[in-house]
Amino acid sequence: MKDAFLLVYRSIKERKARSTLTILGITVGIGAVIALISLGFGMQASITEQLIEMADVIMVTPGSAEFGSWGVVGSFTDRDLADVRRIGGVKDAVAMRGEMEDVEFRGEKLRIQVVGIDPRDIGAVFGTAIALQEDEGIAGRDLRENDRRACQIGYSIATDYFGEEIRVNDRLSINGSKFRVVGILAKQGGFRSEVDTSIYVTTRDSITMLDNKDISTIFVRVWDIGDAERIANEIEARIDENHKLDDFTSAMTMSGAIEQLGTIFGLLQVVLIALSSISLLVAAMGIMNTMLMAVMERTHEIGVMKAIGAKNRNILTLFLLEASVVSVIGGVCGCMLGVIAARAISFGIQTAFTVEIAAIVKPEVLLGGLAVAILVGILSGLYPARKAAKMSPVEAVRYG
Amino acid sequence: MIRTEHLTKIYRMGGAEVYALHDVNLEIQDGEFVAIVGPSGSGKSTLLNMIGCLDKPTSGSVFIDGVDTAWLSDNELAEIRREKIGFVFQQYNLVHTLNALENVALPLFFAGMKREMRMEMAKEKLESVGLGDRLYHKPSELSGGQQQRVAIARALANDPEIIIGDEPTGNVDTTTGNAIMDMLEGLNKEGRTVIVVTHNIEIAARAGIRKRMRDGRVRD
Repeated sequence: MKDAFLLVYRSIKERKARSTLTILGITVGIGAVIALISLGFGMQASITEQLIEMADVIMVTPGSAEFGSWGVVGSFTDRDLADVRRIGGVKDAVAMRGEMEDVEFRGEKLRIQVVGIDPRDIGAVFGTAIALQEDEGIAGRDLRENDRRACQIGYSIATDYFGEEIRVNDRLSINGSKFRVVGILAKQGGFRSEVDTSIYVTTRDSITMLDNKDISTIFVRVWDIGDAERIANEIEARIDENHKLDDFTSAMTMSGAIEQLGTIFGLLQVVLIALSSISLLVAAMGIMNTMLMAVMERTHEIGVMKAIGAKNRNILTLFLLEASVVSVIGGVCGCMLGVIAARAISFGIQTAFTVEIAAIVKPEVLLGGLAVAILVGILSGLYPARKAAKMSPVEAVRYG
Repeated sequence: MIRTEHLTKIYRMGGAEVYALHDVNLEIQDGEFVAIVGPSGSGKSTLLNMIGCLDKPTSGSVFIDGVDTAWLSDNELAEIRREKIGFVFQQYNLVHTLNALENVALPLFFAGMKREMRMEMAKEKLESVGLGDRLYHKPSELSGGQQQRVAIARALANDPEIIIGDEPTGNVDTTTGNAIMDMLEGLNKEGRTVIVVTHNIEIAARAGIRKRMRDGRVRD
């Protein structure tokens, strides 16, 4: 066997440039697959983590909306809110009145989601994670219940939306009414990126100034996460009864959302793998091409080997071994490239978007990558190897 | 013993049938030194390939030690080539990525012999052809004569009964050619059957038996 490897090694070494390119092809193919899968896992983990932070939250929306789509059908009433608060195990329930409004700042007008919320509830909904943005010494402040025409704005609204940056104490016009910016929220990103693109006003202002009486979302916090599913079902039943409609309410627990995310990411992984498989396919064709060329170039040598007693099986083994060696080298390099690329992309995303997506490299993915490389190598080496093995010795010797 | 019966080989060339061998009946006894001579295209190499089990006849038989090789499978033919026949080609046909020692050991590798044994035997064979000091040279680092001696050592690796040479002196100068013929003669004296194909009258004259070929037929 050692000598078979020696023969293969010499043959690969002899065609250094072509062998290197073939190995590179597999390296890139396997590397792409591993990097994408690792990042996919990282993304899933980071979003799941954010959701787990909010594991005691139930999000109640009208219409049986699927996660990710916000098709709103109808809205809730104050009676719904009160009923939800009365359900056993509910720690807190917060109503949000969200509506797209015309917002004007220094002559520029944009449509932005304006959310009416009870100021003391912001913490209840989002936990303590939402802090105020430091703004050159003026930290701003939280909304107060007796604030009139005051608002807190998301980070992106302050920095990106308008030509000029919005600062604390600047004035905005929402639906024609002037509002003073009392605080700018810290950048959230990720699963809470909606906060970055919203403006928050008091419930009273939302109702009186913006004529926004309908509750679009109710956030419920529960005492015990274990009760979340039961409570969610009870909320749905209670509000549906209030509105005399079936399936009017959708109360989603975060564990439900995590489950759904799992499905979405499963799908995403399949798509990613399919996409990166294209590069693997190209690599496979590369191996086949290299091996076919090798068979052609070495026709004469194959003939000589047969003349001195090599059986078809010997020749087949030699060529398959060569294809396997090339693909194993490519596979190992691909695993390394995949890990490096995944880390680099993760670092790049973190720097550019301040979103933390770790590259999660699972050993089984590396092993799988290696296995795929070997499989690809052997499969694409099989045809050239068979061709070599079946060569007639006399014709092969005469060749060249 | 090698015997051919009504040995015929037909090649198809653009619809036309060309008789490379035409009803060849030949007997070569063990230990004979036979030269097959004849002009280009007379079928001598084809005959050699049939005897050497490199090619299969269209019809007729080739018996080697009583076995009709026309009916054997590729693998069985490979076994006969490995165990009974040593080839020496005009172009030496060494594997140029391997050194002299590895080239000589190659048939033993296909025979499944252990590495140490193989290398030891290959070394012996190279020493016997006077190349003990060139074991680790690649073919490109050897002269034509030296390469042909490596090829002879390789042909001898499996200790075959039959040595087949297809113009073994065709690519070397007269002195080297004579040296190679001396070597083949020596092998014949050891009791091996030696069959060479050649154009060269002088070379042919050194063989005990000459077979003349023309148009795919043997004319003694």
